[in-house]
Amino acid sequence: MDALMEMQPLTESDFSDSPIWQDVLAQAVTGELVAAMNYEALAGICDDPEEAGQAWEHSAIERSHAVAFAAAGRNIGVDVVSNVDGRHWKRLREAFLRCVAERDIIGCLIVQEIMLESFALASYARVAIVAPGSLGKVFGAIAADEQEHADHAMAILKAERDADPERFDDKLHRLHLEVMTTLAAMLAKECKDGHCEVCQSSCVKPSLFEVNLSAALLRGASLQQYIKTLDALGLPGEVTLAWIAQLPV
Amino acid sequence: MDCTVAGIAPSAAPQVDFALVGHPESWSAAADVFSALRGPEQTPLPDDEIRDILPWIPPRAVCRVAVKSIAAAEAHGLYIDSFIPPDRLDAGCVQENLTRVRAAAAYAIKAGARIVSLGGFSSILLEGKFDQLPPGRATVFTTGNTLTVAFIVQGIEKMCALQGRNLWQSTLLVVGATGDVGSGCVRCLAGKVRRVQLVARNVERLRRLAVELEGEGVEIEIGTDLAQFSEQADLAICAASLPSPSLLLDNIAADALVCDAGYPKNLSPDAETSRATVFFGGLGQITGGLTFDPDLRGILNHHPFPDVAHGCLLEGIALTLEGRFESFSRGRGAITPKLVEEIEMIAARHGIYLAPFFNGDGPLPLTMK
Ligand SMILES: NC(=O)c1ccc[n+]([C@@H]2O[C@H](COP(=O)([O-])OP(=O)(O)OC[C@H]3O[C@@H](n4cnc5c(N)ncnc54)[C@H](OP(=O)(O)O)[C@@H]3O)[C@@H](O)[C@H]2O)c1
Repeated sequence: MDALMEMQPLTESDFSDSPIWQDVLAQAVTGELVAAMNYEALAGICDDPEEAGQAWEHSAIERSHAVAFAAAGRNIGVDVVSNVDGRHWKRLREAFLRCVAERDIIGCLIVQEIMLESFALASYARVAIVAPGSLGKVFGAIAADEQEHADHAMAILKAERDADPERFDDKLHRLHLEVMTTLAAMLAKECKDGHCEVCQSSCVKPSLFEVNLSAALLRGASLQQYIKTLDALGLPGEVTLAWIAQLPV
Repeated sequence: MDCTVAGIAPSAAPQVDFALVGHPESWSAAADVFSALRGPEQTPLPDDEIRDILPWIPPRAVCRVAVKSIAAAEAHGLYIDSFIPPDRLDAGCVQENLTRVRAAAAYAIKAGARIVSLGGFSSILLEGKFDQLPPGRATVFTTGNTLTVAFIVQGIEKMCALQGRNLWQSTLLVVGATGDVGSGCVRCLAGKVRRVQLVARNVERLRRLAVELEGEGVEIEIGTDLAQFSEQADLAICAASLPSPSLLLDNIAADALVCDAGYPKNLSPDAETSRATVFFGGLGQITGGLTFDPDLRGILNHHPFPDVAHGCLLEGIALTLEGRFESFSRGRGAITPKLVEEIEMIAARHGIYLAPFFNGDGPLPLTMK
């Protein structure tokens, strides 16, 4: 992350797509702040000081991602305004906090590491391909960073599933219904339930094609990342396929 | 489905004897499967959403399959979809589709399948070369094309008998004649008809096949275009690897018997076949018992008759029921009448027979011509 912070400001004055990137960055910053808050809450229920320390560390990393995204926005001349109380993000945060209330560390990891991170990682990687100059680099570097700490959580979750697959899968499915339904609605081609309260003015989705993106592409890549993560944990493919098929569009 | 809330059978990993690797024939077929997986309480996904989502799904099992033989054997397996988008079967997508087929094969190996049938374009993409697949010491692959040929040939012979057509006096046209399925059909039928007309794009391969057939006592014509032939065929087998139904089949006898064995189908909806008898070929029916979990029976195999499936998939099932875990059909152009006879006997022993006749309009009335 240090490398990101040291990046020289760019003179990318001609950013005609700035309003689009402003909204994309607003979603990214909001997601990172939610993740940082989630790790802070997780630290509070870890009995093991080492685990708690790791959760604090993760929280700091996620905050640094938010800072890097905001800086990337300034580089292209836009002010990135986040809103962790935006309609979808609030619901996602509440799902996480319910796991915290139950002192369910595995539930917390499932929500944050499998679900939210799958979406973040896949979306950032896609944005990195099309975003110009330093903006693309920031998204690429943060995607790589997210991948690194996802691997660590996967080892914990895999061990947990191996110990009791039925219980683990049952929990995962309950959280899937809660969290993935919200994420799918977030990345649906249209925001059917009204404004997301993160985009600056009207919904950014219809304009994404102007920067070679689309909500369908981001959703597809995210679902693929998610289902591959579930495969890596050992869930049966026919079961996860049905879960994906049942998501709202 | 016997399941917990997560839709997962609580027992240990179920037995997997065989795997069937397929891909959706059309977007509407894919939509049917998605609708079934969503369940009756949810609205079906709109077509555009399916087109957007399907290409992102990594190859995986769609359902578990259990088959019973009439000889008391049982076999358990998986239907694995490689999720090749139905509109991306063309030559431009070979590499991405091969990646999907390899991933589907890896999935089958990981699941512990002892034999894998490679349906539809899966084997076409590999050109029958199994060394392109990931290694699996305990898993063998078969293209399933020998049983496909068996059912095509049986279909032609049975239809001719039912319609009172004289096979010996017939002119048989085979489109895709140099392919694995096409050449197998030609080898089986050349000695039983008066004339064969062989069609494909590559003339050199057509010539080689014609040379091979010399000595069968059959008149042989080859061509890249139906218009090249000296007379109109009264029997036709369509077994070309066309990415979509686009074959017009003009220039054949108006009342010809046509077996469309393509997957996707070969015949264009615009083909002028109103007076011809068209049936879908290469299909068999399991009579001992077939169940899917989740219950996609009649959805995954959407045919007007129950428990009908493609010969290529049924071959893996028949071999499993027989306890013969071997690459029965491999390579290209190696299907002989002897192998066809052997696999049809194996299939019949387990109650897997030629499917009843139907086409896109439904079951065919079996009346004499
Ligand atoms: N019903 C079933 O159960 C079943 C089972 C297996 C396979 N199939 C289907 O049967 C068909 C053939 O499979 P296969 O394994 O035999 O494939 P294959 O070995 O690749 O042979 C394909 C044949 O089609 C010819 N061909 C391709 N495009 C053509 C065109 N535009 N016009 C004329 N000929 C053309 C090829 O020759 P050129 O390249 O020289 O043109 C070759 O002769 C496929 O549709 C496959 O999905 C059905």
